[in-house]
Amino acid sequence: MNNTLLELKNISYKYKNNLILNKVNLKINSGEKIALLGKSGSGKTTLLSVLNGTIKPTQGEVKLFNKSFDELDRKQKRKITTIWQDLRLIDDLSAEQNVNCGLLAENNFYFAFKNLLNISSFKKAHKYMQLCRLHNSIYDKNIRNLSGGQKQRVAIARSLIQGSDILLADEPFNNLDPKLITTIKKLLLENVDRNNTKKSPKTTLVALHRLDLLNDFDKVIGIRDGKIFFNIKRNDLKTLHLDKIY
Amino acid sequence: MNKLKLNYTSLSFLPILVCIPLGHQLITNIHFGGFKLFQEFLISAFNPKIDNEIILTVINRLNETLFIGFFSWLISIIFGAIFGTLSSNIFYKIFNIPNFFQSIIRFFLTIIRSIHEVVWGIILMQIYGINFSIGIIAICIPYTAVNSKVFTEQLETIDYKNFESINQINAPKFSSLLTLIWNPIINTFKNFGLYRLECSIRSTVILGLFGIGGIGTSIFLSFQTLNFRELWTYLWSLALLIILPGLIFKKIKFKNKNKILSIFFITVFFITILLSFSYFINFIFNNNFENFNSLIYLFKSSSDLGLFDFLKLILETIILSLLSTGIAISLPPLLIGIFNNSTSKIFIKLFAFFFRLIPTPVILLTLLTFNNPSLSLAALTLGLHNAGITSKLLFTNLDSQDKRNYIAMKSLGISKKTSWLLGLFSQQAKSYLAYCAYRSDIIIRETSIVGVIGSIGLGWQLQESLSSFAWQEVTIVLTAYSSIAIVGELINGKIRNSLT
Repeated sequence: MNNTLLELKNISYKYKNNLILNKVNLKINSGEKIALLGKSGSGKTTLLSVLNGTIKPTQGEVKLFNKSFDELDRKQKRKITTIWQDLRLIDDLSAEQNVNCGLLAENNFYFAFKNLLNISSFKKAHKYMQLCRLHNSIYDKNIRNLSGGQKQRVAIARSLIQGSDILLADEPFNNLDPKLITTIKKLLLENVDRNNTKKSPKTTLVALHRLDLLNDFDKVIGIRDGKIFFNIKRNDLKTLHLDKIY
Repeated sequence: MNKLKLNYTSLSFLPILVCIPLGHQLITNIHFGGFKLFQEFLISAFNPKIDNEIILTVINRLNETLFIGFFSWLISIIFGAIFGTLSSNIFYKIFNIPNFFQSIIRFFLTIIRSIHEVVWGIILMQIYGINFSIGIIAICIPYTAVNSKVFTEQLETIDYKNFESINQINAPKFSSLLTLIWNPIINTFKNFGLYRLECSIRSTVILGLFGIGGIGTSIFLSFQTLNFRELWTYLWSLALLIILPGLIFKKIKFKNKNKILSIFFITVFFITILLSFSYFINFIFNNNFENFNSLIYLFKSSSDLGLFDFLKLILETIILSLLSTGIAISLPPLLIGIFNNSTSKIFIKLFAFFFRLIPTPVILLTLLTFNNPSLSLAALTLGLHNAGITSKLLFTNLDSQDKRNYIAMKSLGISKKTSWLLGLFSQQAKSYLAYCAYRSDIIIRETSIVGVIGSIGLGWQLQESLSSFAWQEVTIVLTAYSSIAIVGELINGKIRNSLT
C-alpha cells in the first residue's frame, strides 16, 4: 500500500537569481519521524515552506496525499502544520489567544471573533499550553511580554492544537533549556491528539542544528546548498555523511 | 572646505527661512487702522459676555456642533476602517483578488480626500441649499477617505510572515482577515480616534463659518458685527468642547480585552452602518432639489478664466502651501529651543492651543486688522494654525522621551539649549519630520479655506465661481485643486517613507 503523504518531485526554487533549492526529490511516508540537518542558509527553511505550500517552487511538483496543493480542499490542507523558526505569533494577542488561533481552521468566523474579544473558551488551549510546560500565570499575558522560551512553547502549543497529521518544525528547540528540550522533543515526536492520548503514526519533519538531539528520529536528511545529500535511516548515519553537509 | 551635510535636526529648522520673504511682505503691508480693534479683541478674551441669553445660545450652538462633529466622526471612522481594509494589501492577499481593484479604490479615495470638507460643504450647499445634514455629509466624505488612509497605513505594518502563518493554518478567509486586522484597527482607533474627533469638531466649526450652523456660525456672526466679547464667549465654550472629549477619552481604559466595551463598540459599529445608510438614502430621496438643476449648466456654462490667471492662482496656492508648511515645521522647535524654560513652555503651549482652537478664517480676519490682505498673511495664518498642531505633537513626544542623553549632556556642562537640541530634539527630529510631511498634505487642502477668506489662490476662485454658478469653472478649479493635492500627497508619501 502506498503510504506516501508528501512528495517533492524535482523541486527547484530560485529567489533573486539565487538557486535556493536545486532539484530536490523527497518522499515522506506516514508515521516517519525525520530530522532535517544542514548549515544555516542551506535551504532547510525554504524546503519546509515548499512542503507546507507557503512557497510555490519555481520548478517541480509538490504532492500532498497524492494531490497537488491547488487540488486540495481546505480540510485536506489543514492536515499539515508548521512551527516556524521565527514563530510568527501575533504580537498584540495574549498567549492563550495565540494558541486558540490554531483552532481557527476547524471553527467558523464567530469563533475568530470571540477569540479576539477574549470571550471564547480557552480550555483546549490551556491543555496544550500545560503540555508545553507553560505556567498558567502567563496564559493571559501579551506575547510581547513573554521570554523567548515561553514564546517558543506558545508557538508549539498553537501548532499541536491543530491536531494535524503532518508536523513540520523549523528549529523548534531554540531558546529552550535542556530539560525543556527533552520534554518538547518527546511531545513533538509522540504527537498528542485532542484527547491527550498518543496518536500514532504521526509524521514529523524537524529541522535541526544539534546532532545530540537525533535519537528518537527514524530518518535523517542532510541538505547543503539546496541539494539533498543523504536521506538515510538514523542508525546508518556516519561521520562521513555529516562531513558532506557541514 | 567641508561639504554642508544636512541631518534631520537641521532639516527641521531650515524651513524657517520662509520667514524672510514672508516677513518682508508683511512689514510692507502693515497698517495701524485696525489696531484699536485688535486691542479690543485681545481684551475681550478676559472679559467674555456672560448672560442668560448667550448661555442658552451657547448651549444650543454647542449641541449642534457636537451633533454634527460627533456623528460625522463616528460615521467617517467606521467607514474609514472599512475602506481602509478594502484598500490594504492584506485584504487582497487573503482573498486572492487582483490588485487592480485595490488601485481603483485607492484612486477614488485619493481624489475624495484631496478636496477639503469646506469645499465639499460649499458645493453641497450650492446644490441642496443650507441644510443641517450637509455638515455631516461634507465632513464624512473627505474624512472617510482620510481615515481610510490612516487605517490602511496601519494595516500595511502587519508582518507578511504573520499572514503566511495564519494562511497556513487554513482558517476560513474572514477569520484570517479578522484575526490579522483586529488589533491594528483597534490600535489605530485608540491612537487616532480622539485626534480625529477633535479634527471633526474643528471642521464643523469651520463649516459653521460658511453658514452650516453650530458654534462656527455664531463665531462668524459675532466677528462680523465686531462683538468681540460675545465672540470670546463662543471661543471659550469651543475650547471646553475640544478639551472635554480628551478628558473623557483618558478616563475610558481601552483594553482589547474589555469584553463589555468591545461588545458595545461592535454594536455601535453595526448600528452606525445601518443608520448612516438609511440616513443617506433618506437625505437623497427627501431633499429639496431646487438648486440641483443648476448642475445641468455644468456643460452649458462658459468659463471666463484666462489661462494666465488660472496658472497664477495655481502658483499662488503652491507658494501658500510651501510657506505655511515652512512655518508649521520650524516654528515649534525653534520657539521651544530658544525659550527653553518651564514658564516659556507654558506660554508656548497656551499660544499653540489658541492657534489650534481659533478657526483659521477668524485668525486671518484678526490679522487683517493690522495687515493688508496678501499671500504672506494667508500663509502666516495657515502656518500658525498648523504650528499649533505640530507643536502639540512635539510637546507630547518630547515629554514622553527618555531624557538620559539630555541629563548626561547637561552634566558635562553643555548649555541647556544645546543639550535640548542634541540630547532631546535630535532623537525626535526624524519622526517629527515624518509627521510634518503628513501635515503638509492637510495644509495643501486647507489653502482652500484661507483662500476663500483672504482672496488668495484657487480657494478664492472657487468661491467666486460657485457664487456665480459657473460650474465649468468650478470643475476646472476642483480638478486643479485635486491635482495639486494628489501630487503633494505623492511627494509627501515619498518623503515620509524615506523617514520611517
